[in-house]
Amino acid sequence: MDPPPPRSRGVNEALAQPLPATAVPREAESFEALYERTFPRVYAYVASLLRDRAGAEDVTAQAFERAYRKRRGYRASRGTVEAWLFGIARNAALDELRRRKRRATLETEPEDLGAPSLDDHAETALRREVVRAALARLDGHERDLVALKFQGGLSNTEIAEALGLSESNVATKLHRTVTKLREACREAA
Amino acid sequence: MKQPNRRGAQPERRSGEHRRLDTDTDLAVLEAALREGRVTAADPAERELQELALALEADTPEPRPAFAEQLSKRVEAGFPRTGRAARARGGARRRLAGLRRPRRLLPALAVAATLLIALAVAVPLLSRDQTTGGSSVSAPSTGESADDAAPLQRESRSGMSQTPSPVPPTGTGTGQDFDPKRGQRSIERSASLSLEAPGAELDRLAEGVARVADRQRGFVLRSSVSSGEESGGGSLDLRVPADRLRDTLRDLSALGKVRSRSESGQDVTATVVTASDRLESARAERASLLRRLRRAGSDSQAETLRQRLDANAIEIRRLRSDLRSLRLRTDYAGITVSLSDESRSGDTLGGPTDSTQDALDDAVGSLQASLNFLLRALGTLLPLGLVLAATVAGGRALVRGRRESALA
Repeated sequence: MDPPPPRSRGVNEALAQPLPATAVPREAESFEALYERTFPRVYAYVASLLRDRAGAEDVTAQAFERAYRKRRGYRASRGTVEAWLFGIARNAALDELRRRKRRATLETEPEDLGAPSLDDHAETALRREVVRAALARLDGHERDLVALKFQGGLSNTEIAEALGLSESNVATKLHRTVTKLREACREAA
Repeated sequence: MKQPNRRGAQPERRSGEHRRLDTDTDLAVLEAALREGRVTAADPAERELQELALALEADTPEPRPAFAEQLSKRVEAGFPRTGRAARARGGARRRLAGLRRPRRLLPALAVAATLLIALAVAVPLLSRDQTTGGSSVSAPSTGESADDAAPLQRESRSGMSQTPSPVPPTGTGTGQDFDPKRGQRSIERSASLSLEAPGAELDRLAEGVARVADRQRGFVLRSSVSSGEESGGGSLDLRVPADRLRDTLRDLSALGKVRSRSESGQDVTATVVTASDRLESARAERASLLRRLRRAGSDSQAETLRQRLDANAIEIRRLRSDLRSLRLRTDYAGITVSLSDESRSGDTLGGPTDSTQDALDDAVGSLQASLNFLLRALGTLLPLGLVLAATVAGGRALVRGRRESALA
């Protein structure tokens, strides 16, 4: 199995270190590099929001295509390229969710994205179920925050840029959500 | 900064500072686990938090290899459009090209806008200068060039004295109902000149003015000159033949520093013609009365005719006087020369100080005009901009709110 993609750095580290030159999608090659670096995380984030593999694939492809078309509109002064890309992905995912709500065809539980694999240990599988049960008790905004942080791998600064909030606000919300999640896990366990 | 009992404490009893510390500590613990990929904390509560973070991260959905490969190819190809979508996009792009073009032409548009603003500022200023320039002609203190700028040159070209005159014509004979083809025009000309000289030379200057009038076959109608440390100055009213007005002004301008100069003309042809016609009629009437007097049959009839002849004689005298006065006014131009002590006036036309002062005044005036224009433009654009900004912000908030509603 390939090594996991590098996570976005923590708040302090992200502020201390300059943005790599390849992070700016000015040319097709740079965009490819950005794609290589972020694709698994973008997909994971979108899939966590939609909880539907086919929909996640469509929306991920759509998000990258939108980002490609808009790449000249990216301004480094407004935030990191990851925040910009996840903002696009988030908008695409939310649009998809709204479409689904309008159609009201997805009333049933969506496909289980992370069905336990055969090689999962029983303890791991159990813990996963507990976490999922806890996640299910969060509201949409909290799930979005968790997905951006843990599936998207964004730093608090980047989440703040993607959501249009202040960094301290994101930190507070994240802490509250994690606390709620932990309590929900305790109850579920 | 470990706080052993913080997890067990009642959240509502903690201060805001403690809550912030909890948040920072928890998030730091969480970040450490995500960074290291394993549980690093010794504290059971922190371990629990790190385990949760790792569990959440481990539950990350992974894309299908086929989908990843397919999307990679599309990225490499630059997301090519195919079929109808490409055609539709092509049409939209062509339509949008028209909108994008102005962006490329932005520098040219900016230059054009600047020129327009400059024109908008300069035209009123120039027109104002022309309006005031007729009544006060800036001229160098000496030399022929002073005459070159004389409005009378324009007047002689136009043939109508009112054209260059900034002063509204006064009197009865404005010539509005007069046929211009009927004989030579009679124009009453006048000029005023303000000269400066040192206080001690004012007398000599006044003599020079009189000499110029004499040399040009004119005369001094009235003069008043005073000299002294307190109030030096004076004025002279000259009459010079109308055809020598320009030469006279030139000579007068050479006598001292010209502070201001103005010239005006008024067409009195209609008044002259009317007076001539009436005089001719009066004379014809007199001849008729004399003939009738010779043929008078009675004394009373003769007496009546004599009385009418007396009245006629008075009328003829009055008309002759009017005509004489009119001819004097048109044959001779009136020049009012004002003399002043240059040490009492701050600036003089034509001098270096004057031109610098003028330039400064012009600069301040231009700046004021520009500011006024900017203020007016701001007065219009600012509310429009605010409305536009509010609309855009409102639109964005609406779209954002509608999107966020999907998470509710």
